[in-house]
Amino acid sequence: MGIFSKGEFTEKDWNHLLDRALPDAKQEMAKSPYDSELGFNMAKDARRVINGSLSLEDFHKKYSSSLVKEFGKEYVSETPPRRTGKGPQWAMVIDLRKCVGCDTCTVSCKAENRTPPGMSYNIVLETEVGQYPNVARINLPRPCMQCEKPPCAQVCPTRATYKLDNGIVVIDNDRCIGCRYCMVACPYGARSFDFGKSYEDEMIGFNDVTSPEYGVDRGERKKGKLPEGTVRKCSFCYHRLQRGEEPACVETCIGDARYFGDLNDPNSKVSKLAASPRAFRLKEDLGTGPSVIYLK
Amino acid sequence: MNEPVVYTEKMKVPSSRLNKMERVWWGTLLPVFLIGVYFIIKGFFMEGMASTYLTDEVPWGAWVAFYIYFIGMSAGSFLLSTLIYGFGMKKYEKIGRAALLSAIVSMITAITFIFLDIGRPDHVFNSIIYWNITSTMAWEIHFYIVYILFLIVELYLSMRGDLIELAKKKNRLAKFYQFLTFGKKEMTKEDEQRDKKRMKILGIIGIPLAILGVHGGTGSIFAVLKAHPFLNSGLFPIIFIMSALVSGTALSISLYVIKNKVLKKPIDTEMVRSLGSLLALFLAIELIMEWYEFLVGTYGLQYEEMQTIGHMTTGPWWWSFWIFQMGFAMIIPLGILFLKRTRTSVNWILTASILTILGVVGVRFNMVVPVFIVPPFEGMPTPNYYPNLSEWVVTFGLIAMFLLLYTLGEKLLPIEEVEYSENGVIEHGK
Ligand code: SF4
Ligand code: SF4
Repeated sequence: MGIFSKGEFTEKDWNHLLDRALPDAKQEMAKSPYDSELGFNMAKDARRVINGSLSLEDFHKKYSSSLVKEFGKEYVSETPPRRTGKGPQWAMVIDLRKCVGCDTCTVSCKAENRTPPGMSYNIVLETEVGQYPNVARINLPRPCMQCEKPPCAQVCPTRATYKLDNGIVVIDNDRCIGCRYCMVACPYGARSFDFGKSYEDEMIGFNDVTSPEYGVDRGERKKGKLPEGTVRKCSFCYHRLQRGEEPACVETCIGDARYFGDLNDPNSKVSKLAASPRAFRLKEDLGTGPSVIYLK
Repeated sequence: MNEPVVYTEKMKVPSSRLNKMERVWWGTLLPVFLIGVYFIIKGFFMEGMASTYLTDEVPWGAWVAFYIYFIGMSAGSFLLSTLIYGFGMKKYEKIGRAALLSAIVSMITAITFIFLDIGRPDHVFNSIIYWNITSTMAWEIHFYIVYILFLIVELYLSMRGDLIELAKKKNRLAKFYQFLTFGKKEMTKEDEQRDKKRMKILGIIGIPLAILGVHGGTGSIFAVLKAHPFLNSGLFPIIFIMSALVSGTALSISLYVIKNKVLKKPIDTEMVRSLGSLLALFLAIELIMEWYEFLVGTYGLQYEEMQTIGHMTTGPWWWSFWIFQMGFAMIIPLGILFLKRTRTSVNWILTASILTILGVVGVRFNMVVPVFIVPPFEGMPTPNYYPNLSEWVVTFGLIAMFLLLYTLGEKLLPIEEVEYSENGVIEHGK
């Protein structure tokens, strides 16, 4: 911190303070009877393993012989076996017999994702079938299906829409050019374009937060600012999943008609329900492989 | 079409008449264009996509329809020019350069339309930086760039001899032509031979580029959408190419006949008739394809397909299908070009061409709007879409831009082939 800097500390200053308090690594290491150089190199590469630029196997391969030389066989661990279990495959099960068509999911989704007027990631389709007196009302909640082979990602010219390893199809609004090709390619009508509308007139403070989606804080919602002019969609509330919470629609469903979980885990509720004879997916003939499974 | 220097006493009368016509032409088109620009700034740049009537249900509308309309015109005119330069069909030589010029100008207009249709113009280069190879649209963007450059090179080569001649003249534009010819002084016989060969090669490479790349590709943007069974057919891109040929040929006929009428120049009736029968041939093939497209589509009795066909033929857009697509762009011109009495008359052929050009607008609208107003699920409300005022004004502005750019090209560049025989620089075999 300089003399003239009005007392404002920056991150650098704090770091500097901490560095001063820490003992000098070189000196400390020199006190140990073991090879300091090896220690430094391993620490550097360990960071690379953590940030993903070096695999754990390569790390072990690189150091095992020098480690054995330095510490003897009994102290050195073997290369750990490769992790075989896959990550989660998020899926949603919607029990249509439990759905009462109350639209709570739609409302909570709008509140959670702060979608502007006219935009709804989740809708509930309602129709009446049959002829009096044999009539029935059908409710069909429809979020994005998070397709296994998403046509929307296939057509996107910029790869702004893509599929995560956990099965969720996401949009990078900073890359999207707003061509809306994905919207016409989606067989489920599950995408919306941000026309820049706002509830500010009827709801004070609506503009205070833009979309919290994907955990990105975009600050105030303003004209001409992203995500306006780009396409938006349901992300299974990815930002909530990251905090260990269920999607908003699942949490608020009054009939407990929605289940959320990992399809890769054979013991999860969704896996069990997905295997039920009542299970089906929408427009299965298109080969999109939805991750939203309905129970009829 | 040259500079005033060459006007002799005799030519003064038509030249003043011409000026008046021209003044009317520019005087009408320029304001239309400027109002369009005003609306683009006010709507597109200030309000974004909210200035259109597009919705989440019908995300593509008028501008997309006009974009494919002009892409079609471009590919059609270009393919016509390849008949001349690639395959040496000498009888159409008079319209060769005009076809190339209109191909370039159509392409520029098409790209302007689609540029206006995207939500984030500031992100547009992402489609080149992050090329998604499974996206037909990403491929098209690349093809369009190559294709425009290609057209410009080809037009340039076809005019080179004349540009060199023009650069020798002593008028105010000579500098401009000198610049265009890179100071080249003389066109030797070898140069001519070489350019001819280059043109031929370019013309032939251009065929797959225009058919598979630009036009079939644009058709594929729509045809790959399995969400819309009406579009999702293998025949669709081919119908797209066919209607491109139809509109390109009609455009070339109209431009040639109207221009020569306005300039009071003789019209090559033989060539116009022959182009007329070419147009009839293309129309007939298109009709057959449409027939099978609808037959096979209806036969499947699939919900979306039936809904789309229903919307198209009996819905709120029925007139676009029956009057424009089937009437103006199919049955009426086919009739005119079929009947012996009318198919030999230049005026009738011109009428058929103009009707076709108008009608193809409907063809393009029908590829977009009725398809997207069918909801993805039964039970969802059926949306509708009409272009709003802003969309129309911008559209007319851009059409005016198309005509102005074309006129400018005709004025500044040696597009007329007639000059060859006048100055005798290049002897195109007769
Ligand atoms: S439902 Fe639509 S938006 Fe969602 S992943 Fe499938 S194609 Fe994409
Ligand atoms: S609108 Fe955005 S996300 Fe959708 S296809 Fe275009 S660039 Fe991709």
